[in-house]
Amino acid sequence: MPAIETVGLVKRFGSLAAVDGLSFEVEAGEIFGLLGPNGSGKTTTIRMLSCLIAPTEGQASVGGHDIRRDPLRVREIVGVLTENPSLYERLTAYENMEFFARAYGVADEAARAARIREVLEFFELWERRGERVGTYSKGMKQKLAIARAIVHSPEVLFLDEPTAGLDPKASKDIRDMMERLSRQEKHTILLCTHNLEDAERLCSHVMIINKGKSIVAGTTDELRRKIAGPPKLEVGLIKVTEQIVRAAEASENVRAVEVNGANTKLMIDVDDPDSSTPYVVKRIVDAGGLVRSVQLVEPSLEEAYLKLVKEAAA
Amino acid sequence: MRLERALLVFGKDWREVRRNWEVILPITLVPLIFSVILPAIFFILPGSVGGSTSIGGFEALIRNMPGSVQAELAGMSSLQVMTYILVLYFFAPFFLIIPVMASSVIASDSFAGEKERKTIEGLLATPLTDGELLLGKILVSFVPSMIVTFLSFTAYCASVDFFGYGLFGRLLLPNLSWLMLVLGLAPVVSLAAIGLTVIVSARVRGFREAQQISVLLILPILGLLFAQAAGVLIFGPTMILILTGLFVVVDIVVFRIGLGLFQREEILSQTR
Repeated sequence: MPAIETVGLVKRFGSLAAVDGLSFEVEAGEIFGLLGPNGSGKTTTIRMLSCLIAPTEGQASVGGHDIRRDPLRVREIVGVLTENPSLYERLTAYENMEFFARAYGVADEAARAARIREVLEFFELWERRGERVGTYSKGMKQKLAIARAIVHSPEVLFLDEPTAGLDPKASKDIRDMMERLSRQEKHTILLCTHNLEDAERLCSHVMIINKGKSIVAGTTDELRRKIAGPPKLEVGLIKVTEQIVRAAEASENVRAVEVNGANTKLMIDVDDPDSSTPYVVKRIVDAGGLVRSVQLVEPSLEEAYLKLVKEAAA
Repeated sequence: MRLERALLVFGKDWREVRRNWEVILPITLVPLIFSVILPAIFFILPGSVGGSTSIGGFEALIRNMPGSVQAELAGMSSLQVMTYILVLYFFAPFFLIIPVMASSVIASDSFAGEKERKTIEGLLATPLTDGELLLGKILVSFVPSMIVTFLSFTAYCASVDFFGYGLFGRLLLPNLSWLMLVLGLAPVVSLAAIGLTVIVSARVRGFREAQQISVLLILPILGLLFAQAAGVLIFGPTMILILTGLFVVVDIVVFRIGLGLFQREEILSQTR
């Protein structure tokens, strides 16, 4: 049974369809990326799945519980990080954690204290647990907000831009945390992000949405291949000459050749790169090319994403 | 609904409220003025009101007093009559302003303040039910406002008796009317103020906006004060009983409307 399942999910605000017939499944323990530009419907989707707002049409279940029929049970088993940290700045970090742990039903005092300590230590906030959150930096608040969202060890975690505004070290800590939660502790994570590096590194499946509709969904590799094409052959040379370019273009299976950088790199669009590469490189060497490096470059998810969003906007 | 969950919200909000000077200052300063400073001024500076000890301005009020009160005034000097009417009748509406002001300030912070500080979404995402959230927030507005009112009343009784003993040779407070006012009318008036603040908070986006609108709740009470000064209405036991019954009805109506508006989606739709 999928940990999250939506069928034709729709949310309308007046005449505007913020989410328009979204259907997807997320398996237990998976990190699923929801990508899309601002206003594409990511946050509204999270709000519906965490039972903050009701869908206008369609169905969805989280952890096997219907979001319409059993919203209380859904809220018990999910952790939510919204665009705002939702922390009480006049309370200390520990008081915030204590409140949310109890609100999520972590009743046993000793277990609660141990869990709060565990997550605060993980985010290196334990030493500053007694300070009011208002005195924390933006990065510390974001870490504490994630700590708050996972304090009750939720089965399903909804994270809306968790690394936004964080320094590289804090971003890495949070990526590591997500990987650990997913791989070791088998938590399911629905990750809304603009950070394609995060999505590429963490997500097994992603869905790109725009104007509330799904544009494309699949594994990150599938998406790259489907949208931005197969990998390209990158050949680094001491110097690229016209003769070398012509030789590369004349090679079998080569569709296009671009000269990149300071006349030192060829990007070759080639069919069946695995078998064609040795022959293309031989042609370049025969044309006088002094080869420094040869590698197959996968198109980035960013390229695929930008291409898709541009197409959808058009 | 689980009471301990509502008390959890109460505890969290109360911690926040007591660390917020914007809330603490008005709910301590205003009662202090009404319960200690003003009575002290009246006793220490006799004739400060109206500039003389003449009872001219109080004639209409005295004429409309119930027979039992008029009997109490018999044989008193002008200064005693004026002081008696001031401290036992004229001041009574102020003790309705205290719970209204305190509860509406706390309720504005508790309901609209969560929206303004962008903490509401995290709270609404918890498995606390709408009823538990609402009860917790009503309690945090009601309990401190009642504590402030009772403490103010105690301080007022002490001030009036301390300063008035020399003038009257007996203790004036507490009496039946004041006990009915503080223990009966003040709580139902406070609940009406909370209910109205919940309604206002559901429609506004921030603490100050809610507080500014809630201040208007004091106007009807000022109306009572002026009605009494004009001799139209007297805060005797019968009037207090009628007003208490009236406010019970008002409470029921405003809470029904407030409950209808206290929906997760409705609250979120007004969040910036």
